[in-house]
Amino acid sequence: MAELTTLDLTPGGQTAHVWQGGDPESPALLFLHPITGIPRWGDALEALANDFRVIAPYQPGWGPAKDDLPGVRDALDLVLFNVDLLNTLGVGTAHVVGISIGGWIGAEIAAIRPDAVQSLTLVNPLGLWSENHPGEDPFAQHPGFPTAVLFSDPDKRAKLLMADRDPMDAYVEELLDLRASAKFLWPIPDTGVGRRLMRIDTRTLIATSEHDNVVAGEMGDIWRAAIPGAQSVQLAGSGHIADLEVPDALADLVRNFALEGVTA
Amino acid sequence: MKFHWFHGMPWPHLPDDFRKRNRSVWVDADASLYDPVEGGRLYHEYLDQMEYAEQVGFDGLIVNEHHQNVFGLMPSPQLMAAALARRTSRAAIVMLGMSIALYRPATRAAEEIAMLDVLSGGRIVAGFPLGTPMDTNFAYGVNPADFRRVYREHHDLILRAWQDPDVFAWHGESTKLRYVNIWPRPIQQPHPPIWIPADGISSETWDFCAERGYNYVCLASRGIEPAQAAMDGFWSRIDDRGLERNPYQGAVSQTIVVAESDDEAQQRYEPHFEYTSRHTLDDFPGWTEAPGWRTERGIRERAERTMQELANPKPARIPTWQERLDVGSLAAGSPDTVTEQLEHLVTTLQAGHLIGVFHVGDMPYDLTLRSTRLFAEHVIPRLRHLWQDHDDHWSPRPIPTRQSRAPKRATAGVHRWPN
Repeated sequence: MAELTTLDLTPGGQTAHVWQGGDPESPALLFLHPITGIPRWGDALEALANDFRVIAPYQPGWGPAKDDLPGVRDALDLVLFNVDLLNTLGVGTAHVVGISIGGWIGAEIAAIRPDAVQSLTLVNPLGLWSENHPGEDPFAQHPGFPTAVLFSDPDKRAKLLMADRDPMDAYVEELLDLRASAKFLWPIPDTGVGRRLMRIDTRTLIATSEHDNVVAGEMGDIWRAAIPGAQSVQLAGSGHIADLEVPDALADLVRNFALEGVTA
Repeated sequence: MKFHWFHGMPWPHLPDDFRKRNRSVWVDADASLYDPVEGGRLYHEYLDQMEYAEQVGFDGLIVNEHHQNVFGLMPSPQLMAAALARRTSRAAIVMLGMSIALYRPATRAAEEIAMLDVLSGGRIVAGFPLGTPMDTNFAYGVNPADFRRVYREHHDLILRAWQDPDVFAWHGESTKLRYVNIWPRPIQQPHPPIWIPADGISSETWDFCAERGYNYVCLASRGIEPAQAAMDGFWSRIDDRGLERNPYQGAVSQTIVVAESDDEAQQRYEPHFEYTSRHTLDDFPGWTEAPGWRTERGIRERAERTMQELANPKPARIPTWQERLDVGSLAAGSPDTVTEQLEHLVTTLQAGHLIGVFHVGDMPYDLTLRSTRLFAEHVIPRLRHLWQDHDDHWSPRPIPTRQSRAPKRATAGVHRWPN
């Protein structure tokens, strides 16, 4: 049974809003959410909880942590937030999966605190820029459907992100989550992580989605080339928000790579 | 009542198929459509119109700032203000405004406004708009997630740079300067009047203006009803603080056409309104809401309208002349008609400054001047008496003309300043 709790972190003193589920004795998995945050304890988290102790925090600025955005400025602040969270939960090392902007945060954690990361799975990671493969601008979108471009089919925004929620609250959260993303990705999603990727010595898998409008498939090759020993695969049928679009395939991918070292 | 003449400086030569080939007049419109030689001619024509407005009796000339915009060819209002400062001698020069979040360091804005105030003999109004997402975020790359904080910080830095007599260090989040000590300083002390233009309902802006004693500028471009809602919001903040409602603390901008008769106004001017409407109809919506542009409160205030619009989509179309008049997004007709419309507008809003937009789209030079002259001759005199019981603390306080002149004339060239 999953629950959303609020924790005071040590030693940083920040407040974390974190979903946790799965057997506490299972290997720990730090789930770093995409631009769209964590709309609910969804199918991907549920599937991952079969094999992992899932730790899924809202990054500062997203969801219930919307007011914490001014307190974070850069990658180091985000890394310390997540490392403090693991520390507070008594987790010394965790498998890390990061989707979209979470992929960037995961790579930063692995580069700066390699001891905290057991394996690294980056799905449609943002944070590197290529003029040849810019992708769609996730911030120049119709205000009525601000995240539709993140899905393989625009109608999936309503079905997967907004469904079963109060329409107004879900819409406001959608825009505030985009605001938090813009803080780190505006105006070009080059976060500087490229200068640190060579430090990653953790087993790393890069996955790109077949129908991602924002992160082109070629970006997977660029990430793979920058991280020593990294492997890459393609996720069939998904757009940018893979945890909502293909939850089971995503959970299989993470489980197989993190626990078995298998990428097929 | 004070009367100001605004120029947006649009590009008037868009081809008929512009909208087929361009999604927007902002940000990424095809710049090969711009002809620099014609652009130079236009700048002079537009500046001539503004100088003419001073000659016929307007109190202020208004420039503004837009970037990568077909309908606003003034990325630097300071440059136009400098040109006006040399060729005019009486009218206020209202920077409406400089988008101060774009200037890094913001002391650059403080310096340039001080330069203009000195050059013009103390005739500058400093307007500090938030700008638009298109200008601020998409064209200039300012991060929307924290641009409001940047705006406030820049505002505070500019105010202090003008006023602090000592060298000081500025340790802000956006700007860090070990030595701030600008030369020159503005003539107007403690600083030029500050006006804040706001498009739409923004309770943050109402509070900002009421707290600081700034002039609140609302736009009637969507009609009198939304303008009134905006101005009422501001006045309610003044009331909340137990302050006096001084109409000169409020300004409203309105598009104005004056002709010999109502029919003539429509007949001769309507095509030039259609030019603008045709090219901006159904503009790309992706530029309008950079994430973070609105606060959470602002998002909630806007969200209901967004949802209603999505539930009942109406095909965009160009409003008719009569519709423009009915909603009050335009004041047009004979001098009698326009006087009546504007008296209604400014008394309803309790606005002491009227900002007239006399040129739109591809309106020709002569038509623009004709409407301007008829307004000056037949409308201003009939509205001038409004609010005469109030003191205007929001207009510039220039030094006497004689004192503002350069001590010696150049020996060559023509100097237009009066003796």
